[in-house]
Amino acid sequence: MNAFELVKVRTVDQAVGLLPTGRRRNDYARVKILAGGQDLLSELKERIIEPDSVIDLKSVPGLDTVSHNDRDGLTIGALVTLTDLAENDVVRERFPGIAEAAASVGTPQIRNVGTVGGNLCQRPRCWYYRSKDIICLKKGGAVCYAKDGLNKYNAILGAGPSWIVHPSDLAPMLQALGAKVTIVGPRGTREAGLDEFFITPDISATRETDMLANEVVTKVTVPNSPVAGRSTYVKFRERGSNDFAVAAVAAAVERAGGTIRQARIVLGGVAPVPWHVPDAEAALQGKRADDATLQAAADAALEGAEPLAHNAYKIPLTKNLVKRAIRKLMA
Amino acid sequence: MAETKKKKKIIITKVVDGIDTEVEIEVDDVDGPQWLPKGATRLIGKPIQRLDGPDKVTGKARYPVDVRLPGMLWGRWVPSAHANARIVSVDLGPARRLAGVKVVIELKHAEDVVRFHGDPIAAVAATTPEIADDAVHAIKVQYDVLPHAITVEQALAPGAPSLRANQNGNISRRNEQGNKAEVAEALEGCAHVVELELSTPIKPHVCFETHGVVVDYRGGDSATIHASTQGVFTISQDAAKWLGIPVGNVETNCQHMGSGYGSKFSLGKDGEVGCRLAKEAKLPVHMLLTRRDEFLAAGNRSASIQKIKLGCDNQGKLIAIDAEQIRLGGLGRGSQPGHPYVYKVEKVYRDVYSVHTNIDSSRAWRAPGHPQASFGMESVVDELSYKAGIDGVEFRKRNLEDPMHRRHLDEGAAAIGWHRRNRVPGQGAGAIKRGIGCAVGVWGGGGRPICEVDVIVQRDGSVTCRCGTQDLGTGTRTYMAMITAEELGLEVADINVQIGRSIYGNANPSGGSTTVPSLAPAVKHAAYQTREELSKRAAAVLGVKPEDVRVQVGKFAGGSRSLTWKQVAALVPPEGLSLRGVWQADLASRTTHPAQFAEVEVDTETGHVRVIKIVAVQDCGLCLNPLTTESQLQGGVIQSMSYALLEARVDDPTLGMCLNPNMEDYKVAGTTEMPEEVQIIIDDKDDRPVVGIGEPPVIPTQSAIANAVYNAIGVRITSLPITPDKVLMALEQEGRRA
Repeated sequence: MNAFELVKVRTVDQAVGLLPTGRRRNDYARVKILAGGQDLLSELKERIIEPDSVIDLKSVPGLDTVSHNDRDGLTIGALVTLTDLAENDVVRERFPGIAEAAASVGTPQIRNVGTVGGNLCQRPRCWYYRSKDIICLKKGGAVCYAKDGLNKYNAILGAGPSWIVHPSDLAPMLQALGAKVTIVGPRGTREAGLDEFFITPDISATRETDMLANEVVTKVTVPNSPVAGRSTYVKFRERGSNDFAVAAVAAAVERAGGTIRQARIVLGGVAPVPWHVPDAEAALQGKRADDATLQAAADAALEGAEPLAHNAYKIPLTKNLVKRAIRKLMA
Repeated sequence: MAETKKKKKIIITKVVDGIDTEVEIEVDDVDGPQWLPKGATRLIGKPIQRLDGPDKVTGKARYPVDVRLPGMLWGRWVPSAHANARIVSVDLGPARRLAGVKVVIELKHAEDVVRFHGDPIAAVAATTPEIADDAVHAIKVQYDVLPHAITVEQALAPGAPSLRANQNGNISRRNEQGNKAEVAEALEGCAHVVELELSTPIKPHVCFETHGVVVDYRGGDSATIHASTQGVFTISQDAAKWLGIPVGNVETNCQHMGSGYGSKFSLGKDGEVGCRLAKEAKLPVHMLLTRRDEFLAAGNRSASIQKIKLGCDNQGKLIAIDAEQIRLGGLGRGSQPGHPYVYKVEKVYRDVYSVHTNIDSSRAWRAPGHPQASFGMESVVDELSYKAGIDGVEFRKRNLEDPMHRRHLDEGAAAIGWHRRNRVPGQGAGAIKRGIGCAVGVWGGGGRPICEVDVIVQRDGSVTCRCGTQDLGTGTRTYMAMITAEELGLEVADINVQIGRSIYGNANPSGGSTTVPSLAPAVKHAAYQTREELSKRAAAVLGVKPEDVRVQVGKFAGGSRSLTWKQVAALVPPEGLSLRGVWQADLASRTTHPAQFAEVEVDTETGHVRVIKIVAVQDCGLCLNPLTTESQLQGGVIQSMSYALLEARVDDPTLGMCLNPNMEDYKVAGTTEMPEEVQIIIDDKDDRPVVGIGEPPVIPTQSAIANAVYNAIGVRITSLPITPDKVLMALEQEGRRA
């Protein structure tokens, strides 16, 4: 990695003040925020980024707690580790899908250090993006090499002009449960739903979120809801011991006896953003989870999928995961 | 008057670059050391924990990569960013100007051509690894990018770059055998015929410790090379050449090494660069490759494409085979034995050749070529057995000539519960389907006369067993101690084993599964001579004839008296008793017959394959230490399970770049991929002396798994690794056909 200045800050505002104000690609690249460092360090080591300075957020107090109350729901500090989230009793009991998603990330070592904020802000894993010898569209180049290249792990939904998939396991589950992120910037604090927070490549091919270069994620809030307690994250990976999702389904339902009163489904690993599928939710609403209903929901979830040369398998795979997730929640 | 010695001819294994070749030699037919029969031993054949195990698991064991020397510099090289390019210029200036950079050298010059992604262009030595990394980054290379060939199609297309000097086109080592027309006619007459096109990927070695050396040189005319190597005696000569000092002044030292699998047989480019940097700096240099450079430029198992047509009669007897076999070893030759692999087929036509591409050269890889050939042959044999309606084990037994193979198939079938397999592949109910498959292989694993082992007894009773050999991770120190201790009536802990230095007695490189069968007989010989000499000296004190001295635990007995070990040792000369052992033909054997069975579970909704159980039946002659033998077999099975399901180097054919030179995208099986059980059955029924078994366990595993997948889902996956995308798409296609 290149030599850079490491700045330990005591407050979020101090961090915001040190971040560049511009909106060009370089403004996002010059100064980076360090939390757990599990993604940042690999980008630094491969020289995918070569920042002038890195701001260590870990010295800011109060960002590493999980709390819950009946009015505000669940609040997760940006510096909460994935292990702490996965093992939190309230999360496990009242938001089980979030605990499952957190526990599915990487390896125990990564989860012990990796944070919730870092997990949401991590960069894509596409091997063209991660190769130090390739300047792809996402790195400011002209071409997304995945489109016509070896794209087995790339997107089948919502893609173009970049075909990355969003790598986060937490994001689809948090979005399914209606989570909002709190972002602190030069003009104070704002909240954004995850559907607004993540942006598709047609809006920006070089970024995955709508954050300004001088904004910092400080926490995530998840409302109490009738679906939160019956939520699950079904992740499929090639290598169980450590892998990103090839496809994943974050699902939650509210049951009324044997029927589904309402459902939430967000797909992971198949699109450049967590992929919300309202038509699939509608296909389940008011129905029993019989084979025909599940098939209809699965088909609706993958409606519009446009596979590339090597990733058509993601369609049957993801459909099957949708069915599995709903079956599990209705069992 | 010249003495006429009785001679006999034996077959030994000679290893060149890790590939074994059988050679007949003549040896003396004399009395000498013999292994004790099973049941008569005290230590040999007993499960004894490896002596250096605690050091390895606590981190006390020092590997070459752990070596730190005063003033030591860190070496790194600049890898090519392209698969085929002419160097226009290399600007070393910015690197030279960095504080802490001591040496910068050019490995390729303007007008030179780089031939693969990762081909080293320049190298640096700096005071820290970080500065060395900065220096590599600071070196700017201008390329004139040339058209490359990554795939067979690209390599054979008109106008493809010619990748081998003095050679027309990119095909080499073509070996065509048999009469194609005759075989075609025989196939016409067969009751059942199958035809498959199979492929296997390039698999890097992924050594735990990357390639390289720490060169301890400070100017002057002597040096020590701490090498991560499979051959302690393969290093010094080339190192001396690059350092410009006499070979006799260069010691190679390798106390522990983090695996090689066939890729660490010489000083290599990494070692060359380490020596050149040290020579120029007149300081020690730590030159071990980064993981990325290791993936790109430290060799690999060649890929293969195999188009095989195989036919049998209505009794299941194999009648004819037509095989086109392509070895894809990048710039190297690749390996792949000609078909029919292991099985007996009446009429054979085969066309075996190498196709060259702009990828780092293949190297020997644990059983070079055999896993690839096994996957090809076992896939068609398996397919044909179902087509002929003959039980797969029975079908194989009818076409295997060696009774050992047939015995191993029966043992394995009983252990896995072969009767539980699907009679009709894919017949199981539900989304998650189970299947069972099997496969066999063959490997030489014999010894040769090369090792020189010294057993040294001191007057205080201490015993050293010494040889320059390396421990590839197989437990060399432990069996050297076991053999010596058994012979002298001592315990394993009483023996001080010294290995891994080129100033000790000679030893062979560890390749071709030849270490144990070459080394163990020489250890036995040295210990035997020591025992004879000590018996002679003890006899004089005990007042008996030397042949009447009996070695017991901790003492030498004769008549009604005995001497303790300390008393016996006190009889040696003041300078100690040192006797050298050499190879004994009668103490080693060769050829093993691995057979393996796999039970898998295939999730037909995700395409995921889980290995439930592997049974590995393995003959290994005299099993010196069942604990380390089982470890070695388990390691081999797991390595090939990973090859079956996950591992493949990926190169973009358009860009000519490797896309997964890292431990994230190159997927190696981890803890959750492990089978519930790997059952090892060691077959030592035939009382042969020692045989090497380093390689045979990796040969059949991926084939048995592939056949089990077929048994589970009724669709054959013809390319490794068997990943979820392939399984799902094959099932979809099958579904559309049905």
